[in-house]
Amino acid sequence: MTTATTPPGLVDITIDGQSVRVPAGTSVFDAARMNGISIPTLCHLQNQTPVGVCRLCVVDTGARVLTASCVRPVEPGLNVVTNSEKVLGARKTLLELMMADHPSPCTRQLNSGDCELETLASAAGASQPRFAKRTVARGEDASSLAIAVDHDACILCDRCIRGCDEVKNNFVLGGMGKGYSAGIAFDLNSPMGDSTCISCGECMVSCPTGALTNKGVVGTAIATGPGAQGFEAEDLLQIPVFKGVSGTFLELNRGAIVKRRYRKGEIICREGEFGSTAFYILEGKAKVSISTPIAHVKTQGGAKGLFKRLTSTLVAREEDKREEETRDRTIPIDASVDLSYGNPVAELGPGDLFGEMTCMNFYPRSATVIAESDVVAFEMLRNVLDIMLKNKSFRAQLDQTYRRRALENHLRGVPMFADLSPDFIEHLKESVELQRFAPGQAIALQGEPADSFYLVRIGFVKISENYPGGEMVLAYLSRGDFFGEIGLLDGGVRTATCIALDHVELVRVSGNDFRQMMERFPSVRKGLEAVAAGRLAANQQRMQMVHNVPIDQFLSQGLMEAQSLLILDLQNCTRCDACVNACADAHDGVTRLIRDGLRFDQYLVATSCRQCRDPLCMVGCPVGSIRRRNSLEVIIEDWCIGCGLCAQNCPYGNINLHPFEVMIDDPERTGRKKAAIKQKATSCDLCTHLKEPSCVYACPHDAAHRVDPRTFFADMLGQGHPK
Amino acid sequence: MRGAFSVPANLFAYIVCAARKSTGRVVFFTALREKPTGLLFTARFPASSMQKIQHSLRARRGAVIFDELRAIQLRHGFLPKAELEDLSKRGQIPLYQIHSVASFYPHFHLAPPPKAEIRVCADMSCHLNGACELRTDLERRFANARPEDVQIRDVSCLGRCDHAPAASINDHIFTDVTAALAEQMARGAIRGEEILESHPRAARVECKADPYGDAKKYGVVRNLVQSRAFDDVIAQLKASELRGMGGAGFPTSVKWDLVRKERDPVKYVVCNADESEPGTIKDRFIMTHLPHLLIEGMLIAGIVAGAKRGILYIRHEYHLQEEILGEEIGRCRRAGLLGKKILGSEFDFELEVFVSPGGYICGEETALMEAIEGHRAEPRNKPPFPVQAGLWQKPTVLNNVETFINVPQILARGVDWFAAQGAGGSRGLKFVGVSGHVARPGIFEVPMGTPMREVIFNHAGGVRGGRQLKAFAPSGPSSGYLPASMIDVRLDFKALAEAGSMLGSGAIVVCDDTTCMLDMALNAVRFYRNESCGKCVPCRVGSQKMTDMLVRWTQGGVPEPQYRADLALLDELSQAMSLTSICGLGQIAPAPIQSVLKHFRAEIDAHVLKGQCTSGICFTPAARAGEAQRVGIRP
Repeated sequence: MTTATTPPGLVDITIDGQSVRVPAGTSVFDAARMNGISIPTLCHLQNQTPVGVCRLCVVDTGARVLTASCVRPVEPGLNVVTNSEKVLGARKTLLELMMADHPSPCTRQLNSGDCELETLASAAGASQPRFAKRTVARGEDASSLAIAVDHDACILCDRCIRGCDEVKNNFVLGGMGKGYSAGIAFDLNSPMGDSTCISCGECMVSCPTGALTNKGVVGTAIATGPGAQGFEAEDLLQIPVFKGVSGTFLELNRGAIVKRRYRKGEIICREGEFGSTAFYILEGKAKVSISTPIAHVKTQGGAKGLFKRLTSTLVAREEDKREEETRDRTIPIDASVDLSYGNPVAELGPGDLFGEMTCMNFYPRSATVIAESDVVAFEMLRNVLDIMLKNKSFRAQLDQTYRRRALENHLRGVPMFADLSPDFIEHLKESVELQRFAPGQAIALQGEPADSFYLVRIGFVKISENYPGGEMVLAYLSRGDFFGEIGLLDGGVRTATCIALDHVELVRVSGNDFRQMMERFPSVRKGLEAVAAGRLAANQQRMQMVHNVPIDQFLSQGLMEAQSLLILDLQNCTRCDACVNACADAHDGVTRLIRDGLRFDQYLVATSCRQCRDPLCMVGCPVGSIRRRNSLEVIIEDWCIGCGLCAQNCPYGNINLHPFEVMIDDPERTGRKKAAIKQKATSCDLCTHLKEPSCVYACPHDAAHRVDPRTFFADMLGQGHPK
Repeated sequence: MRGAFSVPANLFAYIVCAARKSTGRVVFFTALREKPTGLLFTARFPASSMQKIQHSLRARRGAVIFDELRAIQLRHGFLPKAELEDLSKRGQIPLYQIHSVASFYPHFHLAPPPKAEIRVCADMSCHLNGACELRTDLERRFANARPEDVQIRDVSCLGRCDHAPAASINDHIFTDVTAALAEQMARGAIRGEEILESHPRAARVECKADPYGDAKKYGVVRNLVQSRAFDDVIAQLKASELRGMGGAGFPTSVKWDLVRKERDPVKYVVCNADESEPGTIKDRFIMTHLPHLLIEGMLIAGIVAGAKRGILYIRHEYHLQEEILGEEIGRCRRAGLLGKKILGSEFDFELEVFVSPGGYICGEETALMEAIEGHRAEPRNKPPFPVQAGLWQKPTVLNNVETFINVPQILARGVDWFAAQGAGGSRGLKFVGVSGHVARPGIFEVPMGTPMREVIFNHAGGVRGGRQLKAFAPSGPSSGYLPASMIDVRLDFKALAEAGSMLGSGAIVVCDDTTCMLDMALNAVRFYRNESCGKCVPCRVGSQKMTDMLVRWTQGGVPEPQYRADLALLDELSQAMSLTSICGLGQIAPAPIQSVLKHFRAEIDAHVLKGQCTSGICFTPAARAGEAQRVGIRP
């Protein structure tokens, strides 16, 4: 019973005579599991919203009927019985019913012996159903290249449907029909192979039976090409890195991993290319480098006077020092090493894994890798990498490599850590924890006690703060960034929520180590305090902005995300396109403005960088070269490799790729140069080199304005018309 | 994804956002060429604004889908793929969602239908009145017809039990159907002639339940907006002990009070006029003759509970009643009884009729709400109950038609009058539909507590053709069958529950001595099998396995050890279905066979073991001819 002694937010219930205390809102199913009482289920997966359809998790709560524990929240004083004869009897009948229609052994049971229905049925003694078998077959669907569908083995647990629609947001799979003839269907009941299914495999891994199984052909495409060598599962198991991986899994994923031999000088992967594989070097050495010029786009006037002409050129940091570029940043790439700004070349050797971000998150390749000697490497698809990363021994080896080779650089890459003594670095190398987070997983929640400091190793972390009526994204952090210092430095409470946006790996420095570091190295403390104060001030300033604005109006058009908008007053605009021409003139003929876009009242919000509050363009940059200046302006760093992901990510189409003809090292012939077109991402730079933006300047009708949307629309809404 | 809307951001890219209450998050994702392509970001909103966002998203999307599908079907006669793909693009609804909904409701055709689609009602009353023979006869008459010309199929109860057998031809319903009539209609349809469905308006019937007669209607509402004595309404309902008339019998005052106390500014009143239990026809009668009482009941509920919107959920087979209610709603609007500021007060109440896309399961309260929201009508897991989280997760008063019409009666004439209407200690009046083997099938208004004998023999004219009464179902298949010896049971919640049955929806079905009770049990179980939504295992699979078992039994000659084993297995299955099914359909599905085994055991034993049918209707050539349709899976 919940008594006066139950703390708020917790609920006391009884499960099988055992008193348990769980947080309010917990399901009976979870409450039982948390306390070591296992309840069988077929339709419930921990990462999906419970639906309570298989009814196997029924428990007795003293009501007229049994209740499905996965969908039943705990209530104070609830008395739950999970194992009475009544409950067990009902479960056994349910299993018998399902087994009567189950093609036993199903494909899953045959392939890997892990059909959940057959396992539960045999445990409950329901393997030999007494009910009549299904007489009309529901059919099979072999149309998908990757996934076999056996509708007869489907128990309509809804797991694949939730996997497709809720987990992956692919919206392909749904329920079909009604009653005994119900089933699953792809789109409008198309064959799976003809549907809009992208074969992500989520349905297959969600399926508890042999209804959706791997055809074992995933990745046959990669098992070709130079030096390719396919595998039998037994061969793979002989290789130390696969120690502990399930043979069934490797069998199913045959073809999703290939061993390749590269001759000296051969290119393993190129920067900017899209890919879906990771590489693991077994033998040999490879050179990793960036061949795109390390430079940014600068627009400036040519000749002076009346015939002033604007040109855009590539200039490196030495020639054009932009403000706030004091730190000598390393370039984060998708490998266990970082490249330095001055000399973006590094070496990889046996035991190194690279391409992890490309493989797990499908980001473009961040650098070019060339075999320096003959190289033997595994190339693998995501399912294999994922299972290997879950494999403790492989994981341990990777972590060791990382600690040994990259952690120090990584820590020292944070400018204020430069002063750490070698012995403390050694200490940290051993004591830090390497953590992994799945997409959408919360790393820290606002208001929680803060107990650690994090360094981003892989992936993107979204830092956001709640305010009444919404959420403000403060920053997207990528490799080399750190967070968590504010909470540790003042008060010990998280001031913001940190969510993993994709596959994220973090280096966690414990609160104790952090405090020790602060004590021993006053300069580090000073530096961090300055950063923390700066971040807090910037956050405060942003929050101030959102408070005065009516949110609803802007939410619907994304305008509230903007810091600065180019608007055209359509009452004055004659559609002469002078603004677009002026923009093109100012930027080497590549316009960064399109006279089209959303309308808000009499204003056209032209397609031009809005300096969003939630800059989606920053998510996914494989080399972390797009960032915000402290002024919030979005800028692109010198090491942009021109992959175009940011242009694709910007939902407003405001980032363009500007082509430049440059001479680069010929990768095929060492020591020679060749001409190539390299692209650099550009967005509206507000013509900072001029007095006012060219487009605004050029408008002959006074229709173009650059405005701060908050004050502009707030005035408009408040007083009828802005000035 | 529960609801989503999109905002064109530029030529090709869209931001689509979907709100999910469970996670408290709004999910934004990109859409290229109107197809979602990738997750952009998610934002967490506080509960209050989250609810607002989510509610507007859902309300925008929910009900539209049926209107769209109906419009497409009206144009083409079915739902062509290209049209559905177009709808998906226009409405930003994923294809799978359209298909999962369209394939759930029998009303929608995914393939071109034949020129004449004859669907013969197969349930209880029609079954007792020769539906099987009608179908067999029709199949013989059209034995050489091409399938694109004519198809003959079963259909679940059409709500015309008093004029059995009923059949629908191209969705037009006909009663007292003969094979000759049906053939004539179908042949006309094949020639391309339009089928005319005539539903003449019946003359007005005076009901005791109507407190107004020829006087000015809606008196209770007129007083209520003046007096604002809402607590008094709840108190009077409580004193009257009014219980739900849809089947479950939940105290009405409690339900209304719970919704009234909810703080949410948005609430709903929903009327369940989707009576689909075989034998249930009383709401059809009430809507025909007392539409003003129904609307007044819903209005009172809205005002008392604080809901501004009412939805009257009516089954799609009731065209006439839809018309009558539409007219009455129009009159109310003109009289200022519906809409903004009712009768000049500060109360708003908008009432709309929602035509069900079809299916018995839609009568389950949460399935009904799912249907209104544009989903597959699959019952929800409870709790939460509709009074807290009903339609669009808002507090909802959901009552049956008859429950609503009792409210103005009680408020107009007082609790004492209401209590005095009953017989034998019961309260109020009850509308019952009597069908099956009776001389005068129909709907009768009787005092609650009337003995069943009086209802069947006095009101409905007794067993037809002077035959003996063998059994009766007090409320369709769900109540199970009671033997003739229990004819004196009173029509009352308590009395029928004690008799091992239930008052349910007042659908009395009478069987004479030519009825095979095993056949009737199979008929009932098959109905549940056909109407199971398929969401949960016990009902979806259990109802089929039970049907399989009874089909085998009806064929007779089952070896005794097998029969004993079957009986034990049937008990286990019944237990599992009753205990673990999500909703009442699966929980009640074993009732018919269990009641027959309880009251007619000797007859069943003889039938199963020896192949003897005491009523002499099974094991005849005609019965065998009809067997095929009993066995097969519903197409």
